[in-house]
Amino acid sequence: MIKLLAKRSSSAILVLLGVTIIVFFLVQLVPGDPARAILGNGATDQAVQSLRQQLGLNDPLVAQYMHYLGGLLTGDLGNSVNLGKPVADVIVPRLGNTLILTVAALVISVGLGVPLGLIAARYQYSIFDRLAMALSLAGASLPVYWAALAAIAVFSLALNWFPTGGMYNARMPGGTPDLLNHLILPATIAALVPLAVIARLTRSVVIDTLNQDYIRVLRASGVSEKSILWKHAGRNVLPPVVGIVGLQVGYLLGGVIFVEVVFHWPGLGQQLYTSITAHDLPIIQAGILFIALMFVVINLLTDLAVAFLDPRGEVAS
Amino acid sequence: MSSSKRLGKRSARYSALGLVAALALTACGGGSGSNASANNTLVIGIESEPDILDPQGGGGWVTYRISHQMFDGLVAEDLSKPSSEAAVTDLAPGLATSWDISPDGLTYTFHLRQGVKFHDGTEFNAEAVDYNIRRMWDKSAPQYNARAAGNTTFVWQHLSAVDVLDNATIKLTLDQPFSPLLRLMAQGGSGSTGIISPTALKQYGDAIADHPVGTGPFKFEERVRGERVSMVRNDDYWGGAPKLDRVVFKPIPDASARVASIRSGETDIIAVPTPDSVSGLQSDGFEMVDATPPHVWFFSANMKEEPMKNLKVRQAISYAIDRKSLATDILKDTALPAYQVQAPANTGYLQSTDPEYPYDPDKAKQLLAEAGYPNGFTTTIETSVDGSGQMIPVPMAEFIKQNLEKVGITVNIKTYEWISYISHFNAGLEPGVGMAQMSWGMSTPYWLSIETNSSLIAPNGPNAGYYQNADLEGVIAQAVAATDEDTANKYWEQANQMATADLPMIPIVNDKSPYILSKRVKNFVLPSEEWYDLTKVELGS
Repeated sequence: MIKLLAKRSSSAILVLLGVTIIVFFLVQLVPGDPARAILGNGATDQAVQSLRQQLGLNDPLVAQYMHYLGGLLTGDLGNSVNLGKPVADVIVPRLGNTLILTVAALVISVGLGVPLGLIAARYQYSIFDRLAMALSLAGASLPVYWAALAAIAVFSLALNWFPTGGMYNARMPGGTPDLLNHLILPATIAALVPLAVIARLTRSVVIDTLNQDYIRVLRASGVSEKSILWKHAGRNVLPPVVGIVGLQVGYLLGGVIFVEVVFHWPGLGQQLYTSITAHDLPIIQAGILFIALMFVVINLLTDLAVAFLDPRGEVAS
Repeated sequence: MSSSKRLGKRSARYSALGLVAALALTACGGGSGSNASANNTLVIGIESEPDILDPQGGGGWVTYRISHQMFDGLVAEDLSKPSSEAAVTDLAPGLATSWDISPDGLTYTFHLRQGVKFHDGTEFNAEAVDYNIRRMWDKSAPQYNARAAGNTTFVWQHLSAVDVLDNATIKLTLDQPFSPLLRLMAQGGSGSTGIISPTALKQYGDAIADHPVGTGPFKFEERVRGERVSMVRNDDYWGGAPKLDRVVFKPIPDASARVASIRSGETDIIAVPTPDSVSGLQSDGFEMVDATPPHVWFFSANMKEEPMKNLKVRQAISYAIDRKSLATDILKDTALPAYQVQAPANTGYLQSTDPEYPYDPDKAKQLLAEAGYPNGFTTTIETSVDGSGQMIPVPMAEFIKQNLEKVGITVNIKTYEWISYISHFNAGLEPGVGMAQMSWGMSTPYWLSIETNSSLIAPNGPNAGYYQNADLEGVIAQAVAATDEDTANKYWEQANQMATADLPMIPIVNDKSPYILSKRVKNFVLPSEEWYDLTKVELGS
């Protein structure tokens, strides 16, 4: 396990280094001059040049990159060009908001998807199975933007159960209950696609497993169906299901950005959009880097979890 | 059994993981709640996340609508009348109760309001004004701020000295007469001259944007990025305390989401609803208010190359566009047809003239033939897919394309995402691009100079179409140098007439910038400006 951890961590670091290079040079393609964006249309050329100098924008790109990387290694993400404060102060709260949405969506999609898949597999070809699979197909096929607007029309405007967006009540911001009230609708919408994928794949993995020879032997020996499903099949089903869930977290991190737009959830996606408007390169770089970091960490955790759950993997590594 | 022990250990680990996740979820919550004033809190759903709340350095109308509530300048505008009563806003006393202009137009003496205090208790006086102006203008001053200076360049471009005469009087000396000065001092949008507490500036420096302290009717309360900017009533406001306890500006970038938010009662006012939603909202009891702010949706013509550099071609295009149908059918009357370069909310606007180039496709064809294009030509026009003040640019461009094709001009439309588009536009029109679309304006006619001056040709200024017209610049120079308002306006009208006839920019529509109000909102007035006043607004039950 430790060997595996070491191996995967070192490749993760290489991946992240690659990401910093790509991100740094990609954001240079954002059209426009950050200095002019700050000083406005009327600023004199001289003022723009002197600010460019001050921000280090006139240095060669490679020198700028080394400076940036040096900062990263010492934990310094730099200062926001537009806001004049440390990047971390801007990014971290937004990242927290995106994680709240992602984790809530994950809880919903795993909490509903896995049992749904299990039950559908257990009662294969039953009405429940067909209904659950048809619904999950529909869930996976709905465009998130449309589903979000439809959900707002039904659950916020017609039924008045949930607010239409935001994270807290603007008139009277409350604590956790207020947050949860604002969270349910966007989290459910964000969960739709992963829920459907998890349910369908769980079902097929369980059905595969239940058709294995050793299950037949267990059945023939008179072991109860419940014990077969939960104890014997369950353990073999777990590693592939965890693998799927890990993949879905990656999907969610990208997908919640659309949900953030419709529900005006103050997450990382919205901050990145605002920062691109302001040509705030350090924020854009840090935002993308954080998303990449989360991907890498989640992949790493998934790999470790699968290895942990599947003793064969441990032996192999 | 060892395997069940292992399982037990594992499930304990899983529970621990779950617990950590749950804790993380709740720990991120929080927020401040107070019951007392919730009911008298006005929530405004705005189009985007505002820029920094430094009134001098922050850019964009969305931002100025917020900082305007917390800051005053020396010169103000009367925002109490709707466009129907005042097509152009009147200048009004702000933190200066009056001002004297020397006959040669070179010195402005401002008499300051007495007994005014900043939100932090600091006294407002001539020293405070001096400190603020030097922040925007005097490179040798310790408080000089490049961003504040950059965004207010046009206002202070002719300032040569600032003198504190006494505690209540300050004198500005110019290096040449500059008639747009007062109105520019009352403007916002690309910086403003709002006066900030010197104590707060000394305390916070560049971080003033997180602690905005002014003299305005509302005091800053809190900013949660992406979520809200909130402010509370300033009971000691010199103009009389506002009626509202609190105001919250809530960024809701998606227009459909803004409409949903006012329908559900989460907001009381929203900016820019989708044009299609307006009639439904009105029939459900919501009120729509609109105005004629100084806003023109126009095309900049590429004056560097044929065929657009030919005046007859530009005239033909102007004749070929059916602006009335565009405003009525496509924009559902959320805009007015525009025939002049200057908007109606501007002293350079010509009140009693017929449209220079009304809809006349036959005339357009004739002019094209005279220009040497009897069979028309092919050109590219550029616009954005969305953006602040852009309304619905793509359907609008499609409509104009159909208009132009009727007279034989084949049009390729190239669209850009808004953020890329601003930079692309500001870099100047590319070869092969006939026209590029933009929308803005100011209530000072000086805007025409900013748009057309040859010293501000892109990429060094907003003159994206490379226009150069020495005659126009001559008239504008006379308007700028005029020492009385009537003379200035006479020249500004002449300048507008020249530009409208010569068409460096082809005006299409004037946005009416509609707002939707819930039934609770009383006394909200949308003046002929891009921003509004909230001191008189009340909330019913």
